[in-house]
Amino acid sequence: MSQTASLVNPELLSHGTLECNDIPATRRFLTEFLGIDVVRPLPEAQYLWKGGPWSVVCVCVEGEQKEQGPQNRFKLAVSTAAEVDAAHAAAEKHKETYGIRKVEKLEDRGGVRSFRLQDMNKVWWEIANLSQKYYDDAFAKGDVTQ
Amino acid sequence: MNAPALSDVKSATSHVKPNMLISGTFVTRDLARTRRMCEGLLGLECVEPEKGVLLIRERGHRAGEKLAGQPYWVLEAREVTDVAVPQEMLNHWGVFVSSQAAVDEAYEKINAQQKEFGLGRVQKPRFRHGSYAFYFVDGDSNWWEIEYRTPELVYTAIRAKGDQC
Repeated sequence: MSQTASLVNPELLSHGTLECNDIPATRRFLTEFLGIDVVRPLPEAQYLWKGGPWSVVCVCVEGEQKEQGPQNRFKLAVSTAAEVDAAHAAAEKHKETYGIRKVEKLEDRGGVRSFRLQDMNKVWWEIANLSQKYYDDAFAKGDVTQ
Repeated sequence: MNAPALSDVKSATSHVKPNMLISGTFVTRDLARTRRMCEGLLGLECVEPEKGVLLIRERGHRAGEKLAGQPYWVLEAREVTDVAVPQEMLNHWGVFVSSQAAVDEAYEKINAQQKEFGLGRVQKPRFRHGSYAFYFVDGDSNWWEIEYRTPELVYTAIRAKGDQC
């Protein structure tokens, strides 16, 4: 389908969102543990980013956050499988410090090593040794019909 | 106080040292319906690298196109039998369009074709914190935002300003 045939012609797939109820504690986890960049332009929101013009908008809500499932998650790319292993060990070691609720087992799939964790806000994150090339190749290869 | 935003470099001190916030994921009960919406409604590029999985990015990143070689964010949709955790408006995915008029045009078109794309509620556009946008929900409870931001409010400009609170 050509671009002009779509109802909307966006310039950017720009953002996702997550909820938190403690902005300072969440920011500490995001920056100190996950290594994500953060800026707070509004009292009720901070914007997260790493590596491009898109953001994840973290909205402060009162009360309990919604429990998310691991199939709704954000994925962080690191350079090597050893970095995934180190991140997993750190997650286990610093669970209490950063309010990490769950740390899943390490997995290997198709040459990608990864694990998932659920943070204090019940948001799921995946750490994987991926690069943009992984997706470049997938888009270049096209649909796999089998 | 305008404290500088944390820099966009690989952190030397964080426990995880990511290169990129590379992807977000969601689920659908009908991958073909989601693909029709992402391509035909949202104007995004899709590919199915394996059965039951859909990768989504903005158009223009193929060789020879205007965004070739530039970084991009990917959404990964996975087909499931049931949506275990229905999503709400505060958990949404968004796209930027080029003008306020483009938001209004998108609203009119999407509202008119709500049934064809299997959508739920389509909210009216409104201004909020300087952006102009509307939301709609798809057939699997995933919420989407069509948004216009003035140049001083795009994310890269906000990052350059640093913390405002």
